[in-house]
Amino acid sequence: MKLLAILIVLLFFSASHAEEGRFAEVLASGTRQVRLAMDTPANRENLPFPEINKEMRETFLFDMNMSGTVVAFARDSAASPGGLSAGMVDFSPLLAEGYDLLVKSEYSLKGENLVLEYRLFDVINKKLLLSRRYLGTIREIRYFTHSFANEIVGVIDRAGGKGCFTSKIVYITTSSGNKEIAIMDWDGHNFRQITRNGSINLNPVFSPDGKEILFTSYKNGNPDLFRRPLSSGVDLKISSRKGLNITGSWSPDGKKIVLSLSKDGNSEIYTIDKNGDNPVRLTVNPAIDVSPVFSPDGAFIAFVSDRLGKPQIFIMNVDGGNVRRLTTLGSYNVTPAWSPRGDRIAYASMQDGFQIHTISVDGSDDRQLTASGNNENPAWSPDGRLIAYSSRQGRGEAINVMRANGEGQTRVSQGNGRATQPSWSFP
Amino acid sequence: MKKETIVFLMALGMTALLAGGCANKEVVKAEEKPAPTVKQEAPKAPEVVAPKAEPVTPVPEPPKMDEMQAVKAEPVKLVLETVYFDFDKSDLRKDARDVLNKNADMLIKSADKAKYRIEGNCDERGSAEYNLALGERRAKSVQQYLITLGVPADRLSIISYGKEKPAVEGHNEAAWSKNRRADFVIEK
Repeated sequence: MKLLAILIVLLFFSASHAEEGRFAEVLASGTRQVRLAMDTPANRENLPFPEINKEMRETFLFDMNMSGTVVAFARDSAASPGGLSAGMVDFSPLLAEGYDLLVKSEYSLKGENLVLEYRLFDVINKKLLLSRRYLGTIREIRYFTHSFANEIVGVIDRAGGKGCFTSKIVYITTSSGNKEIAIMDWDGHNFRQITRNGSINLNPVFSPDGKEILFTSYKNGNPDLFRRPLSSGVDLKISSRKGLNITGSWSPDGKKIVLSLSKDGNSEIYTIDKNGDNPVRLTVNPAIDVSPVFSPDGAFIAFVSDRLGKPQIFIMNVDGGNVRRLTTLGSYNVTPAWSPRGDRIAYASMQDGFQIHTISVDGSDDRQLTASGNNENPAWSPDGRLIAYSSRQGRGEAINVMRANGEGQTRVSQGNGRATQPSWSFP
Repeated sequence: MKKETIVFLMALGMTALLAGGCANKEVVKAEEKPAPTVKQEAPKAPEVVAPKAEPVTPVPEPPKMDEMQAVKAEPVKLVLETVYFDFDKSDLRKDARDVLNKNADMLIKSADKAKYRIEGNCDERGSAEYNLALGERRAKSVQQYLITLGVPADRLSIISYGKEKPAVEGHNEAAWSKNRRADFVIEK
């Protein structure tokens, strides 16, 4: 979606490091969570826009509560405009109510044009921590709110970086009958279908720059690999070799694609240039080898192979050497996803239904994150804090999101049909 | 009748005609996409194998003619039986080999030498990605076996649909066993 707005960011007060250290201590000690209150948004002209207030609150609270950095609440307050400076806020009731942080907001809407200010206050020290002013249209209100939430997350959990809430998820939908590709905001809003070829479309993946999608489609009769720049509606066919051209994913620098091709007899892992040329074969094995993914440092590739009898996840060097087995729990482990933080890999393990696990890259510390229904195809958020996945509970199938420790499992996909195979963009 | 009344009645009549004409007209939105059924996109031949079909005699009896003219035999489209597989396996069971022996015989003896595509499929369990490769393995298994029986390799191509095209909907072994299959589809 093109951003037509002029975004002017005025940083009034930079975050004070001493105060952030206090939040890190609260988080690390685990004794209690940081509590954040969001006051009712105020309209500068004192005009009532309950729908705008609702949209801002829903967007913001969903982001902050999913982030795992705070517990966030809507706080009913007299939404009087002009009360955005620290000197004008009465912090005593907030202290009494047990809040650590306060978010206040004020906006002005003239026709379609929106001016929106968000501020984050430290309740205990009575200080302004973060201030942002956004100029644009009413259609950007969710985007601006997501953007402020990203920054708050970065203030509270500095080591983990900014949040991921301005990012998007691409996935497969059956809402028009067959499997087509769709895209949505991370929280499920603004979803739209981007392919309409009436065929079977599979495994969409965002490029590292977030501008293109890679996917497999049978639209020409064979499972071929295509690249679609999001700014156009045109699919570039990049691999239509004999047999399978499947499970493509990107190198971190966006220059290469790793995929599974069966042109030489059976499914093997190859890299190709992003325009499809120069295949370099990495596996030589009569086994099935599929679902390759690069490590974030570009040095390794994790993939699925049944060379030991049933599908397990292996890791090899980027030149194909030093193949070692990663997963040892259970007999059927597939769809590896490498955390952007580099330390853990998420995957699906068949145990009755499938469940999502994460495992350390050295093969230790395997953790099961889901327990009910059938959960597959994990995809990490760009900040490594969240995991999206397909979830089938009963008859429907939808995209859920959870924190990397398994908490907060929530459905995000909307609309008709089944939603599967999510991939998360970089912000 | 007054002039105004006539005009009024004519207007009423025109309205009724227009309304009647419009009543059954549906607004048809320009479809920018083809029909969303996969079957229309995939190059499947009209002759689809029915799994339980009896093998048909490939060459019909030439009709008896008064004139001593040689009549060309009509090429008859073979009905080649589907073969089935065990869960997570691509090797051919005995019953599969029996079916393929018959299929090979028909292919070799047929007059028209048509080409066939072997389509490998999986049941809904297992991961979609792994099943694309497993479906291909099944198709290849069938292809290799037919070639060893003497079917020319250039008459057989393969494709995998993984678990994307189940033959039978259902979430039990009765359905799953019917979906772990290799179908034969004639190529145009």
